[in-house]
Amino acid sequence: MFNLLWLVPAIPYFSFVILAVFGKRMPRSLSGLLGVGSVGISAVISVLIGIQFMSSPPAGDFFMQKLWTWMGVGNFQPEIAFHLDALSLLMMLVVTVVGFLIHLYSWEFMEDDEGFSRFFAYMNLFVGSMLTLVLANNLVLLYLGWEGVGLCSYLLIGFWYKDSENGAAARKAFIVTRVGDTAMAIGLFLLFWNLGTLDIQEILNSASMQWETGSGLALAVGLLLLGGAVGKSAQLPLQVWLPDAMAGPSPVSALIHAATMVTAGVYLIARTHVIFDLAPIAQTVVAIVGAATLLIAGFSALKQHDIKRVLAYSTISQIGYMFLALGVGAYSAAMFHFMTHAFFKALLFLGAGALIMCLHHEHNMFKMGGMRKQLPLTFWTFLIGSGALAAVPLITAGFYSKDLILWRAWTSDSGSPILWLAGIVGAFITAVYTFRMVFVTFFGKAKMQANHRPGARISLPLVVLAVLALIGGFVEMPHTLGHFAPFSKFMHSVLPEVHGAHLSISIELLFQIIAVVITLTGILTAYIFYYRKPELAENMAKSGFGSALGRFFYSGWGFDWFYYKFIVGPFVWIARVNKKDIIDFIYTIMAMICQIFNFVFRQTQNGRIRFYAAGIAFGAVIIVAIVMFT
Amino acid sequence: MNLRFDIMIPELFLFGWAIVVLTADLFFIKEKKNALLYMSQFGFLAAAALVIFTPTGPNEVGFGYMFYNDTFASFFKIVILLAGFMAVSSSFEAVQKSIEHKGEFFGLVIMSAVGMMFLVSSTELVSLYVALELSTIPLFILTAFQKRYLKSSEAGLKYLILGALSSALLLYGMSFMYGMTGTTVLLAGSITMLLNSANVHYGLVLSLVLVVAGLGFKLALVPFHMWAPDVYEGAPTPITSYLSVASKAAGLAALTRIVYGFYTVGTAAEYWGILIAILAALAMIIGNFAALLQSNIKRMLAYSSIAQAGYILVGFVAASQLGLSGISIYIFAYLFANMGAFAIVVAVDHKLNSDRIEDYAGMARRSPLIAVCMTIFLLSLAGIPPTAGFIAKYKVFMAAIENGTLFWLVMIAVATTVVSIFYYARVIKEMFITEREVESSESKWILSSPITIAILVGLIGTLIIGIYPEPFLELASTVTQSFVY
Amino acid sequence: MQVELIHFLCLAAILFGIGLYGVLTRRNAIGILMCVELMFNAVNINFISFAKFITPDKIIGQVFAVFVIVIAAAEATVGLAIVILIYRNFKDVFIDKMNIMKW
Repeated sequence: MFNLLWLVPAIPYFSFVILAVFGKRMPRSLSGLLGVGSVGISAVISVLIGIQFMSSPPAGDFFMQKLWTWMGVGNFQPEIAFHLDALSLLMMLVVTVVGFLIHLYSWEFMEDDEGFSRFFAYMNLFVGSMLTLVLANNLVLLYLGWEGVGLCSYLLIGFWYKDSENGAAARKAFIVTRVGDTAMAIGLFLLFWNLGTLDIQEILNSASMQWETGSGLALAVGLLLLGGAVGKSAQLPLQVWLPDAMAGPSPVSALIHAATMVTAGVYLIARTHVIFDLAPIAQTVVAIVGAATLLIAGFSALKQHDIKRVLAYSTISQIGYMFLALGVGAYSAAMFHFMTHAFFKALLFLGAGALIMCLHHEHNMFKMGGMRKQLPLTFWTFLIGSGALAAVPLITAGFYSKDLILWRAWTSDSGSPILWLAGIVGAFITAVYTFRMVFVTFFGKAKMQANHRPGARISLPLVVLAVLALIGGFVEMPHTLGHFAPFSKFMHSVLPEVHGAHLSISIELLFQIIAVVITLTGILTAYIFYYRKPELAENMAKSGFGSALGRFFYSGWGFDWFYYKFIVGPFVWIARVNKKDIIDFIYTIMAMICQIFNFVFRQTQNGRIRFYAAGIAFGAVIIVAIVMFT
Repeated sequence: MNLRFDIMIPELFLFGWAIVVLTADLFFIKEKKNALLYMSQFGFLAAAALVIFTPTGPNEVGFGYMFYNDTFASFFKIVILLAGFMAVSSSFEAVQKSIEHKGEFFGLVIMSAVGMMFLVSSTELVSLYVALELSTIPLFILTAFQKRYLKSSEAGLKYLILGALSSALLLYGMSFMYGMTGTTVLLAGSITMLLNSANVHYGLVLSLVLVVAGLGFKLALVPFHMWAPDVYEGAPTPITSYLSVASKAAGLAALTRIVYGFYTVGTAAEYWGILIAILAALAMIIGNFAALLQSNIKRMLAYSSIAQAGYILVGFVAASQLGLSGISIYIFAYLFANMGAFAIVVAVDHKLNSDRIEDYAGMARRSPLIAVCMTIFLLSLAGIPPTAGFIAKYKVFMAAIENGTLFWLVMIAVATTVVSIFYYARVIKEMFITEREVESSESKWILSSPITIAILVGLIGTLIIGIYPEPFLELASTVTQSFVY
Repeated sequence: MQVELIHFLCLAAILFGIGLYGVLTRRNAIGILMCVELMFNAVNINFISFAKFITPDKIIGQVFAVFVIVIAAAEATVGLAIVILIYRNFKDVFIDKMNIMKW
């Protein structure tokens, strides 16, 4: 079974090629079948591989499939090879299974779009690239996948390119993430240059042997990799692109900008955790970035009225939790939250997409209202997703993963009460904005009429994801609930255990109770402000300070304004001042030299046979002279 | 005498097939002459199959030392036959439009391929010369084949006169080679031994330089290159593509046979190496710079092929196993990219009646697939990953660097590669960026199946070697392992 | 005076030089072809004299000369055909006029 591993990324790639070349001439049903089916087959193969991996793990708990070496130069041996271990298996399963569900959903969602086959081509390319990224066994392939998903993100955000705003959003996403990508590329070069190999496992092994803990090199590499992760995962200070990225179709937001691609940064840090273990400062920075991001994004989410933007900010905030977990060394907790988040956030985006589709492409949730009756299935699944996002205790997956992170944030060796506090405040805000969204959208008076109900291909993914969002957390129970923890046990073949004080169960219970209370208070707050007494919220928003704060949160803490003022503005100014382009002058001179050469050489080609014959004869004579007299 | 007809079965078959095609011309009515094209395609493929599944083992010698069948020769035969196949395939439109005597056209292409196949297998001066002329004389005719087209006949005359002059130089060199060593057999190694002796005879140096000049003409090396742009521009486009690849490959194989042994060993290495290095540098510089501002795409590709010959020589100068395998892979990559690009030139010429680069404007809109294919071919010629050209350039440069003394040459090669990107990218820019009003009357382009096959073969070859080069690299290194000298 | 190899070689070299000079200076296409023939003949003298003086027991030089003559004849045939073609198209055989394609 393991030998079929290469098929998992290969099938979506293949389907991409077919769709890209013949897509226009294909009937829609065939494009859809190909686009969805290819990911479906990949998902089936991944699940089978996963079952085998868990039932009879390969030697050393990893499986390496080397297809071929692209080209070899000394140490530079980029292989086309896949490395499957617990971490990449988890990523692969999430990418293919959730990816398949989202593809299935898109089949109906995009049915009437004129770019139907183009959409599936991009989506398949994305799945292929994402799988390349997570399965890569060397830096080159990893980087290829990393850029591939970036490209697909760009293409899909700007999918409806006829609206120039979408194009601008796509460009913004591409350029902002590029900042991080550059940092990461430098980090990868440093790794290769210093350790002399591209193989990720070898790099990790030799790094832990050759580098001292706290060495400057480890710190530099760690921070550079963090830069890449921050860009891709939309963390502070590069988080500004993700809310705008919602310009793409909803399934894209679900797949790329919630479930998979934006967590590539989490994957990257988890994959290279050895380096972060060697650089405690970098690790602390990860935790601080995570904590700050989760708060900032959470507050921003409070004031949005575009339902997808709420979800976008909440994604940023939830990935902040993952970074927080990574930063305190709780790697498997981060991956656990990644998994549950993929389930419930994909669910929420798909639910929001279904709403938007049924409501004539209305994004503003304050114009919706009372959808509970009109779209019951969407409501129930959305409610489950919201519950998981807000971490409703015991029954939802989000509770288990978030609780684990909060617990580690304090008790881990590198954790601290401040980080925990940030997390717990974040949990409160999460509950508030999540249920604000639920109450505003689904309760109260209906302000719009749904034009139809979603069909089977939309409903099925919603139901399946809802089930996953409920039961997905049962693979990792806290000590207070019997400590049934196959997930972290499974992950520990790759990711180290958390180092931290062993505290008694009663303390853990105390923590959990605090978290539960906080969550429920948050939900209650939302209930009061947005359902029971909406005038309360309105009054608050009207007061001077309240409205200023609201605008501040609405604008995402003014990051866009700040960047525009201090980076984009000056850059444009320089570009304008430098319109004649002084630096370009050098290149113009070079081009002119080339032109002169061109002119001279062309003169020799004067079309006369006798001149050519003389060229041959005297050429021979000159060569004889050179050879004889040297 | 060892009359081993069995080791030259592919050549004999193809020779017979040329006669068959020439004769078959008489039996087809005018509308059915396309059958000749399919027959020629079959001939090339069948001959290639015969080369691959040759009944005799490798490294067989026949007819004294006149015919030597090693894997090196087989490899180049495959290249020549593939080039012939693609040239014939891409000539479908051109033949219908402007070629009158179709039987002769295809017959001569095949005949020329036979000559080249003999050329790469010959290890003796007489057979080498005869094979060379057998491959060149049909090309003179083919170049001037469009009888009413001034450029074509001018190209034919230029090619003929300069070709004859260069073969006179070659022969004069050969006569001295024979006189100095008393033998015409290259395999015996007597020439090599003479060159390695302490004082190199001036006559021998003269003879070698003249031989290099004669073969340099075929390879279009500077300063024997000046015929190439004019002939490439004037000849019918499929013939241009055939000239640029097959003729070059055959010339390269012959040059390798004659010259390679001389400077791999002993004292001669120094100044032969430097001589070839200078030729390579000249070819890269002049070819690339002269190509910069061309307006005719065939002429631009002609200059580009001069530069490509320079890159090939870089691997040649490296004078190592690695260099030779680099050359082999380079020729292979060049084959697919160049033949593919020329096939598209034929297609565009057929639809628009123009070879001008400006007329490629708006191609991406008019026919996106063709534009993408052309882009891939040009990128491969420029040596940009993930295409075959990148792997090839990389291999060749690597071989030169490992040689140790050739760093300056690699620097020139890299710098001129940068220059080359300009003129390749210019075509891409025209195709994708330049706006062009498309008349509504223009219908979608539908290409004939033979030319589509030619483009597809080029595309698949270019991409596969670029992405999955391992088997080809292995092939290239086995090819050169058997190279005896 | 004994006629030695060197005399033949000198004769051939002079003949070759005359041919080359003719190729470079003649303007008439047919003239150029004739001069190339001259160069081939110089080569033939070389081959035969080498065969006579260097390898008297082998005839490979003479064989080579025969091949050269045959191929030169073939080349001349094609050459004259192309010259006729040129004359039809350009109404002239003066090659300096044939530079439509340049640069």
